[in-house]
Amino acid sequence: MNLRELWQKPEARFLILFLTILGVSFTVVALRQVNDTFVTPYTAVIAQVSGFVLRIFGEKATVTGCVVSSPRFAVTIYNGCNGLITSLIFVTGVLAFPAKFSAKLIGVIGGLLTIQLINLVRIVSLFYIGVFLPQHFNDAHIFVWQSLVIIAGISLWIVWAHKFALPQESS
Amino acid sequence: MKNATQVFLRRLPVTLFAAVVIWLVLRPAIDTMVAGLAQTLIRSFEYPRVTRLVVADHRAQMRRSDLRMDSKVPSVSMTEVTFNTIVLLALYLALPHPFSRKQLERLFMGWCVLCLSQSINLLFHVKTLYAMGLGEWSQHHYSDFARNIFGFGRYFTDLPGRFSFPFLIWLGFNWDVVMKMLRVSEENDGKRKTDLKRKTKKSEPKS
Repeated sequence: MNLRELWQKPEARFLILFLTILGVSFTVVALRQVNDTFVTPYTAVIAQVSGFVLRIFGEKATVTGCVVSSPRFAVTIYNGCNGLITSLIFVTGVLAFPAKFSAKLIGVIGGLLTIQLINLVRIVSLFYIGVFLPQHFNDAHIFVWQSLVIIAGISLWIVWAHKFALPQESS
Repeated sequence: MKNATQVFLRRLPVTLFAAVVIWLVLRPAIDTMVAGLAQTLIRSFEYPRVTRLVVADHRAQMRRSDLRMDSKVPSVSMTEVTFNTIVLLALYLALPHPFSRKQLERLFMGWCVLCLSQSINLLFHVKTLYAMGLGEWSQHHYSDFARNIFGFGRYFTDLPGRFSFPFLIWLGFNWDVVMKMLRVSEENDGKRKTDLKRKTKKSEPKS
């Protein structure tokens, strides 16, 4: 089987595209210039939004860079907590999946917004876990919420493929 | 197959909970196994063989037999290294017939690969510390090239690896099941292209 024949197979095409885009995107976000010009400001925006939501809930939250603090507790939003890696995996899955352009556009925009919304819930909930159950903060942060966010990203991709990407059954 | 996707998505929250419980129960064994494999890998390329990884309180302590007795012992959180086992287990258990012989074999193989990836992640943590974190000793024993390689390896197996490996392993070992569930096939690809052609024809101006 030559490369052209392999490329004709949608499963093989999906796999090749998925691994290539994922590898390239992970490498790009690792570059210092990209980190300084995009990742850090992006994380700071997420910190600002989280601070805004916490203020709506009545917290006296202030944001300095990527640190959200209040007299009761403070959280620092690092690279792994900004939802970027999950977003990259999701977007890669959408772009590599055999679907129409419009379906991919819906997937990318809808998926990114949903993942950020989930991440926002995660940051706010972790803040309150830090306030009320500080002894469980690390467990909630590492294995509960990280697992939840990854599973949410994968579920979103499957829901998107199921609802938007697959050709509709002809009646 | 539509039902298979819905069943998978419905099962996922339950299997996620089950996966957390299984991981919590097996965590001491997983920590020891991953640290043991990482130590073997490190010592395979080390002369003299001085590195020892000791697991205590879910942290891997990096001990070297050539360090002074009063030296501080750096450590890595094993929870961060192995938590992605939960994701792999949840995804596996949500597939149809998770306890069939075939699926259990696939789970075993996938879990072994994940453990290897976790050990490599731990190895890069240790090697990055040796190459960058021990001041003049690091400068003397490791080249800039080695520092870049270990730094990149640590970055790649840290966040991107921890987040994507369970999904990739699950996808790889259950390729036929997942592709069938998502209905990725040449037939559907052809259908998609025909739909697109039909739409393009419709939008062309009539002469």
